[in-house]
Amino acid sequence: MNKVVVTGSGIICPLGADKASTFAAALQARSGIGACPTDIAAWLPHIVVAQASVDPQTLLDRADHGLDRATQFALIAAAQAIADAGFACPPSDSQRVGVFVGIGFGGSQTSDGLYTRFYRTLSDPDQKHKDPTVMHPLTVPRIMANAAAAAITMRYGLHGPSNTYSVACASSAIAIGEAYRAIRHGYLDTAVVVGTEAMLNPGALMGWNALRVMAKPDARDPSRSCRPFSSDRSGFVIGEGAAALVLESASHSNRRGAKVLAELAGYGCSSDAQHLTAPSVDGQADAMQQALQEAGLAPEQIQYINAHGTATDAGDLIETQSIHKAFGSAARQVAVSSTKSVHGHLIGAAGALELALSIEALNSGSLPPTAHLDNTDPRCDLDYIPLRARHGCHVEAVMSNSFAFGGSNVSLVARRFAAR
Amino acid sequence: MLFDQIKKYLVETAGVDPQKFENPELKVADLELDSLGLIEMLFEVEDKYGFQIPDPMVFLPMSFAEMVSAIDTMVQEHSQSQALKN
Repeated sequence: MNKVVVTGSGIICPLGADKASTFAAALQARSGIGACPTDIAAWLPHIVVAQASVDPQTLLDRADHGLDRATQFALIAAAQAIADAGFACPPSDSQRVGVFVGIGFGGSQTSDGLYTRFYRTLSDPDQKHKDPTVMHPLTVPRIMANAAAAAITMRYGLHGPSNTYSVACASSAIAIGEAYRAIRHGYLDTAVVVGTEAMLNPGALMGWNALRVMAKPDARDPSRSCRPFSSDRSGFVIGEGAAALVLESASHSNRRGAKVLAELAGYGCSSDAQHLTAPSVDGQADAMQQALQEAGLAPEQIQYINAHGTATDAGDLIETQSIHKAFGSAARQVAVSSTKSVHGHLIGAAGALELALSIEALNSGSLPPTAHLDNTDPRCDLDYIPLRARHGCHVEAVMSNSFAFGGSNVSLVARRFAAR
Repeated sequence: MLFDQIKKYLVETAGVDPQKFENPELKVADLELDSLGLIEMLFEVEDKYGFQIPDPMVFLPMSFAEMVSAIDTMVQEHSQSQALKN
């Protein structure tokens, strides 16, 4: 089995357009959540969202402006991660480099645009002379879920497998785990892994609104609307953006003299097989236990968990119970936070973003807080790092949890890299 | 007008060298568009006039000027059929 390391990461999200500013905002509990764009607010005035801090088009060449917004985010995060890893592209061993992408709603922005264009043309008296079915010829390749993976392989000349995982909120956690396994088992030496999501459009948000899981806007300050583990939580806030990681076998990173951010040491995954949206203690705990076991770590050797922590009543409570089940007596010692309180729920990008932040915590010894946690739900009895970051911590290993609608559970463990 | 509209798209978005359009004999094939590039170019016209051009491949053997003329004929036919409808 090959040891797998993380050698680069990149982020564009509601907290910032690079990993340094994003992690700084997470530590300061500076929220990226706010009011909806006006075209959505016209119909759903009570929805708050977490928009990316920068319009991705401003960071891309004009030739990329027609790509789906999720693909644009993915290209930006991937470029940062590849540069961070010092990974020269196209690589000479390009057949041994894979691309693994996680996305929830592939092509959401483009799909929404297609329907909007059809009905707008149909209903506009000034456009009566137009056939409303005339659409951009690249509509389909922009919508396809693997659009981001394809764009990355072409841009960087990567000839290994390009796989896309759509597993709702666990999409990019699965993509990381599967890339990790491919390297661990010797199928690949390197993988560029990206989680991306861009669904802040009217159609997708009308769907989310109907599911009754969205946070109500905080009356005093909308940026405080997502309050995981709080007694006054009201649901989650959809965010957009992307995060990318470069994974390599330790021997490959060593050969090219790359700096190592962390060792990716364990991946656990399970399915609840019981309910479409309700979480399960057994399924979640199983994923965490698998990840710990693969990493060869006892529960007390994990110092920080980035929780799935979406701020739904069932989600927060079940995850708390799952951590108790998986960690036993060590559950009371481990620090747990939900950074979704400030960046919102990036769905397909959540797993990659939150692992990237967890690795920043591992290397800096600074643990990001759960923001807005003034009144912890008494049923949630762990150390959630309320309100303020904790600095100067000794962190040897971290865990990042991602639990999806559909009952898919993923847990990833990263630890400090020791060349052995 | 149609000539300039298509040229503008090809130069500004598809990255075609503007010098090429100085040549009156310019062939569609000389634009070096792949099949997707060709239908993206046609979408510039389709979007503006509101109809889908039936067979993009008929333009491949033409000169650029012949293509513009052929598309112009389609635009006129579309406009007339719309006028009859209303």
